[in-house]
Order: sequence, then structure tokens, then C-alpha cells
Amino acid sequence: MSQYFHHNPPVRVASSSLFGTASEALYARFKKIKRKDVECQAFFRKVLKNPLFQLLMISTITSNAFFMVLGTDYNIRYKLFRLFEISEILFVSIYACEFFMKVYVEPIKYWRDGYNLLDVVIILIILIRYSLRKIKGRHYRYLHIADGIQSLRILKLISYSRGIRTLITAVGQTVYTVASVLTLLFVLMFIFAILGFCLFGTPEKGDLDNWGNLASAFFTLFSLATVDGWTNLQEQLDKRKFTVSRAFTIIFILLASFIFLNMFVGVMIMHTEDSIKKFQRELMAERHVTLMEEKQMILRNQQEAVNRLMNTQSGGGKNFTELVEEFKKTLRHTDPMVLDDFGSSLPFIDVYFSTLDNQDIVVQKLQELYYEIVNVLCLMLEDLPKKMSSHSSEFMN
Amino acid sequence: MAQEQGHVPLPRADAIRSRLVDTFSLIEHLQGLSQAVPRHTLREILDPSRQKKLMSGDQNQLVRFSIKPRHMGHITHSQRMLSRLQVRCSRRPPLSLWAGWVLENPIFSKFIIFLIFLNTIVLMVEIELMESTNTKLWPLKLTLEVADWFILLSFILEIILMWMFSFSLFWNNAWNVFDFVVTMSSLLPEFVVLMGVSGNSVWLQLLRISRVLRSLKLFARFRQIKVIILALARALKSMTFLLMLLLIFFYIFAVTGVYFFEDYSRSTIENLEYNMFFSDLLNSLVTVFILFTLDHWYALLQDVWKVPEASRVFSSIYVILWLLLGSIIFRNIIVAMMVTNFQNIRNELSEEMTHLEVQYKADIFKRQIIQRSASVATSHRKASKDVLKPKEPELSDSEKSDAETSDAETNDAETSDTEKSDVETGDAEKSDTQRSDSEESDTEEGEAKGSDAEQDEDGEGQKKSSKSKVYSSSSSTASSSSYSTFLMDWETLVHENLPGLMHMDQDDRVVWPRDSLFRYFELLEKLQYNLEERKNLQEFAVQALMSFEDK
Repeated sequence: MSQYFHHNPPVRVASSSLFGTASEALYARFKKIKRKDVECQAFFRKVLKNPLFQLLMISTITSNAFFMVLGTDYNIRYKLFRLFEISEILFVSIYACEFFMKVYVEPIKYWRDGYNLLDVVIILIILIRYSLRKIKGRHYRYLHIADGIQSLRILKLISYSRGIRTLITAVGQTVYTVASVLTLLFVLMFIFAILGFCLFGTPEKGDLDNWGNLASAFFTLFSLATVDGWTNLQEQLDKRKFTVSRAFTIIFILLASFIFLNMFVGVMIMHTEDSIKKFQRELMAERHVTLMEEKQMILRNQQEAVNRLMNTQSGGGKNFTELVEEFKKTLRHTDPMVLDDFGSSLPFIDVYFSTLDNQDIVVQKLQELYYEIVNVLCLMLEDLPKKMSSHSSEFMN
Repeated sequence: MAQEQGHVPLPRADAIRSRLVDTFSLIEHLQGLSQAVPRHTLREILDPSRQKKLMSGDQNQLVRFSIKPRHMGHITHSQRMLSRLQVRCSRRPPLSLWAGWVLENPIFSKFIIFLIFLNTIVLMVEIELMESTNTKLWPLKLTLEVADWFILLSFILEIILMWMFSFSLFWNNAWNVFDFVVTMSSLLPEFVVLMGVSGNSVWLQLLRISRVLRSLKLFARFRQIKVIILALARALKSMTFLLMLLLIFFYIFAVTGVYFFEDYSRSTIENLEYNMFFSDLLNSLVTVFILFTLDHWYALLQDVWKVPEASRVFSSIYVILWLLLGSIIFRNIIVAMMVTNFQNIRNELSEEMTHLEVQYKADIFKRQIIQRSASVATSHRKASKDVLKPKEPELSDSEKSDAETSDAETNDAETSDTEKSDVETGDAEKSDTQRSDSEESDTEEGEAKGSDAEQDEDGEGQKKSSKSKVYSSSSSTASSSSYSTFLMDWETLVHENLPGLMHMDQDDRVVWPRDSLFRYFELLEKLQYNLEERKNLQEFAVQALMSFEDK
């Protein structure tokens, strides 16, 4: 089937920039390059789709996660140091192999899939840790941060579980709304942060801890928005006898916590509903289409089988009715056959024959109309020569 | 396939032929592998006179069990057991039948509900009196103890009864498993005490208190509560993947937290409140959950900042990211999914209602069709008796004359039509059981309409079921005129009810005689060709008309 796609004529896109035309030309050129090592590529593709390989990957990632859990405890790490080193090398090599295999099979289409990009990011994270260790030595301050990020490796599991993938595609549609709501929240916090800094962050009698600079003002506002420990912050402001502080705090809490964060919920509900409905509709349509195709296939196979039978008859092209004549003789009236398909059921017969009767009536009416038309035309035809003859007689007279 | 008759291939005719081939498995037959057809039915074997004749001949024959399609409701386990050969042929009925009878007895189930209520009350009073040392209350305590033991024993008895009824089905039902667990957890302390372990350990006290859980058994008995709990369980089931994703994120942030806050956990500064919160993985997991519920996150962050070695940037990134991702985004996703699921459940329930409505409408429609077809059959039979060959113009003449005579009666006839359809729905239940007998005659009546009218089949058609006797002749002729008014609505009516009709047929099955079925398919195919021919003729007529020129 894929051969058909290669015969598409290259589409010329008129792009305005030089870069655009250059990349288009490059892309078209890449498409035309045929790979010479087709068999090896097919072999690797088969390996990647093999369920055993997927099982191997899933068990690797799970054991990697488990070892990371064990590695958080210093004592265990100290005792089983060698095991940890060896397993680390094993895991990294397996991830690298998988990456290279996938890139080898599909060098260009690989970069379009999101889950493959996730794999690339995880490999980069591993590389960061390795390179930090090598470059900056064992006692770099931020080494343990690189260690901590390694826990992201478990995200590779998502691409192997179909359920979570569908969930993410369903929920992923809502990402844009989430981003826009978050931006709105950020803008609101920005406004109030500047306001709060000017009101409460002055060096003389202001609360420097919480409102002194922009970062701490942001943190204070976020704490107010998530209504955690805001009474303590309010107390601090009250101690310094700010009159406006109560109004400020209450207005911000109403806006951010009650309205904004709950708006979040509403927006997500709407989008989740939409995407789930669309997803289910697509699923139903897909199922319907495959069912229809299967039915067509079965019908076609059956017709071909009967055709073949008729053509290979020794009698030379016997009629279908003659073929089954013998079969018909073996049928007895007292043999019951139980059927539950619509075509041979009573309601179908009743409806079909009622529809045929209606059709008959309509055709009759149509025929009557035709008769009338013919009648009228005949009459017109009869009248015409008389008129002609009377005209001619008048004329002659 | 159709070229043999010199016809244009029609997809409908081909479909009918393939249906024929499929039903009778003609392909295998034509290839020489014929299927054996049972020649005798159960009725013949059981009839002693016929049985003798059969047994004197070839004794190796296939017998077909006569199949009568019937509407069955839900078949209970006790009904199934009553039909088993082992049960019917044994001398004594098995104990499970008696157990089933007891369990389904309403008195017994009401007794159990009463016991559950009594248990709750006994427990409440016992807890109040447990601490008091008033000796006058000792008989009361004794009665409470006895009542408690009695209740426990009767619950055990109920479980044993259910086991006697059906051991494997017991474990399939989740409510029964819950009952079992609760009862066993009440029994366990007593056994352990008997075996000599001291009776004051906390674990045993807790187990004793699990008697309270017995009150939850009430939930299984009342239908509405069951429905609510089932709806809740379904909503949770559909959120499994979401919870899995959440667990993955919990894991990521817990492990990352241990590494990020290493300096903070190992710091020697005094007065750090949350020092042990990120010390090892379990604590880190708990802390991640605490952050998920947005509790004292700012205090924790400020505490971390007190340690100079911990980098402020990374710790605040960690906390803010987790708050945004977990507490704000994930929690709202969970709410959104729950709302969607509840809406889906509600839609499904209403879908079931609409499904039932559609089926009900299709039922009524079916009866209307049968009524109409019966009346048309009588009118056609009348028409064919006057005319030898039912050529269409002549049929239209007879119908036109019928229509003229009955124009005055149209209004009355229409009201009587609707009345008769109501009567129909009343008869339908009675005649359902006669359906299998009348089906054969119905199919033959159907054939009479399709093929040319044959006089001998009219006689059989008149032997129909009692439905045709309900109609008077005036309504039958009137309905043919009311056809013209109903023509517009017919198509929409059919299209509305078609899905309902097609779906209904999964429950009704029709018994056909074999050769009639074959003939039916053959005739239906020929009918398609005839209809096509008629259409072509009409087109010729139109073309001829159009080619009249005005001279």
C-alpha cells in the first residue's frame, strides 16, 4: 500500500522566504532518496514491533525505576555499589540501542512523534548527568540535582501503555486552554505584585520579608491564591498597621482563588467532555467502517466462489438454477429452519410488500396521467386538421 | 452471475442470491460436501404410532429437536438446576434446591434485614455500657452478649446456605465476598483467644470493632443504594488510567525530592521543623502528598530556605512546578473526568430508556403493518377473484371503484382503524403463542402477494389466524383509499422505525419450512428483476411521450 504514496507528484509550495524554498527543496530531495538497505530496515522494523521487544523494554524501565528507589537510601547504595553501577550501564545501553534502532528504521519520520522526542529528552538528561560528572568532578554542588532528574526515565513507560496514551491525547487537547488560563493568572499576579510591593514593600515601615522584592511578592501572592497560611501573612501586615491590607488581601483571594482557580475547573470540564465525545465518535466510526469492509469482503468472496463453481462445471457453463435444481429436490416442507436475520423476518416482509403496494399505486396513478396526456394530445391532433380544413375552406371561400 | 438471463446486474438481486447461498450453504453442497439434514422431529419420535414405523426402518437417523422461539426472561440458577438431568432423575432432590428456596423466600430476607438492624442497636448499647461497672446492669449485658452471638451465628448460617446453593457463584458476586470478609473478621478474634493469645492486644480490639461493618451489609439489600454504589464504582473504574498517571507523577516527584533536598535533610541547623520530611523515600512520598493537598507548602519552602547550602532556585522550582502540575491541574482533571463520567452514565441510562421507547414504537408499528397487510390481502383477494390476470390498469379500475364507494366512509373507517390497532395490541399477547403456527401460513400469504395470484393459495390464506376475522369488509376497502393520504407519511414512518425494527429482530426468530424459504429467496430475486424491468418500461413510455413534436 505504501508504494502508492511514493507516486504522488511533488507539490510545489510557493514560499516567500529563501529559507522556506531551500528547506522545501531539501525535503523533497530527502523524500526521493531510496534506501538501499531495505531488507535490514525491514528486519529492524519487525524487531521493533515484536511484543517480546516491548516486554523487554517495559521490564527494563520498571527495573530501572525500582533501582532508583533503592538508590535513594544511602546504606543500600553503599553495600550494593557494584550492582548499581553495572545496572546503570546496562540500562543506558539499552536505551541508546533502542534510540539508534528507531532512528535507523525511520530517520525522518522519527522526529514527528511526540513520544520519540520524549525518548530523546531522556537520553539528553542521562547525557547531562554523565557529562556533569565528568567535567565538573565528583563534588560539584549541583550534582545531586542531575541525579534527581533521572527519575524522569519512568515517563518512557507511557508510550508502551495504550490506555495512558489515549488519556493523554484526550487531555492534551486542553493544554492550550490551560496555558492561556495560567497566563491570565500570571498577569493578574503581576499586577497585584507591583501594587503590593509599592504599598507594603517600602524599606522604612514595610514588610520586607514578604513584599521586599518581586520574587518574594510573587510567592506571597501565590500563597494567597492557594489560600495556604494566608492568615499568618495577613497578621504580619496587620502588625505594621497597614489599613488597606485587608481589602487588598480579600480582593485578591476572591479574584484568584475563588474565581480563577475554579474557572480552571470549568474550562477543563468543557474541554474534557468535548475531546472524550469526539474520541468516542471516532472509535465508533472506525468500528463501523471496518465492519462494513468485512461484510463487503465476505460478499465478494462468496460471489467469486459461486462463479468459480459455475465456470468449472464439466457441463460447460451450467445455469445457476440448473445447478441447484437437484438440491431443491432434497428440501422437505417439514424441515424447520430457524433464522434470525432481518431479510427473512415477518416485519420485513410486511413492510416491503406494503412499500411495493404503495409503489404500485403510484405507478398506476402515473400511468393514468400518461393516458390523460396521450388523450389530450390525441384530441389536439384531431382538432388540428379540422381547423386546418375549416381555415382552408374559409380561405378558399 | 446475472448475465445468464441477459439482465443488467442488480446489486440487490446479487445480495439476495448470496443470502440464499449462505443460508443453505450451497457452496459446500455444490462442491460435493453435503450437510446432513435431520429428517425427523421430536414429535415424530414421541408419537408411538410413527415411532414404530420409524424403528422398523433405518434406525440410524438424525432427529431435530423442534425449536419454538420464545421470549424468556432472566433464567435463575434454581431454574437451571431444576432442568438438569441429574436432578430430575435422582431419587431425592439435592439440598441446594432447598437452600435456594429458603434464600429467595421474602420472609427470610426480611429476617436478615431485621437482624442487621438489631446488630446495630446491640452494638450501640454495648459500647455505652462497656465502661460502666453497675452490677444491676449485668443481666442486660448478658442478654446483649447472647444477642450478639445469636446474630453472628445466623449470619454464618446464611453464608453456609449460600454455599450450599452454589459455591462457585457465591464468589462471583462482590457483595457476598464482602459479607464473608466481615463475618470472618468477627469470628477471628474468638478463635485467636481460644488458641491462647492474650485478649487485650490492639489488633483484636480492632477486629472486634469491625462488627460495625456488618451494618454495611444493609447496602446490598436496598436497590437504590446499590445503584449509587455501582455508578460510583463505574466512574472510578474509568479513571484507572488517570490514577496510574498520577502515581507515576508521585513517584517522579518523590524520588526527585529526595535528591533535591539532600542538603536540607542532612543539615545540622537547629529548629528546622520539616527536617525529616525529605529524608528517605517514604517520607518524601508523604511530603509529596502533603504538597498535593496544598498544606503548609509556603512554610516548608521558607524552612528549606533557612539552610544556605540548599539552592533556592531549584527548590522553589520544584515546589511551584509540583503545585501547578499536581494540585491545580491534576485535581481539576480528576473533577472534569468525574463529571464527564457521571454525565455519560446518565446518558447511557437515558439511552436505555430511549431504546426501550424505540422498541415499543417499533412494536406498535409492526402490529399496524400486519393489520394493514391483512386488510390489503383481503382487498387483493377480492380483486383477483373478479379479474383473471392482475394487470395493473385493470387492478386500478377495481380499486378506483372501491375507492369511490367508500369515500363517504373514510372518516369512520379511520377512527375504526385506530380502534382496531388498540384491539390488536390486546390480542397480540394472546396470539403470540400461536405465532409459530400462524407463521407458516403467514409466509405463504406473503408469497401470494409476490407472485401471480393463484387461486389455490387463496384458500390457504383464508385459513389464517383470528386476526383477519376482526376486520369488517368496509374497513378493508376504506384503508386502500386512505393509502393515498398515508403515502406521504409511510416513507417517513418506515425510516423512523427501521432501526427499531432491525434491532428488534435479534429477539424474534422465525421458523421457516425449508423449501418455502428457498422459494422465497428465489422469488424475491426474480421480483427485483421484474421491478427493474417495469422501471425500464416506464422510462420507455416517458421517452415516447417526450418525443411527440408539435407540428
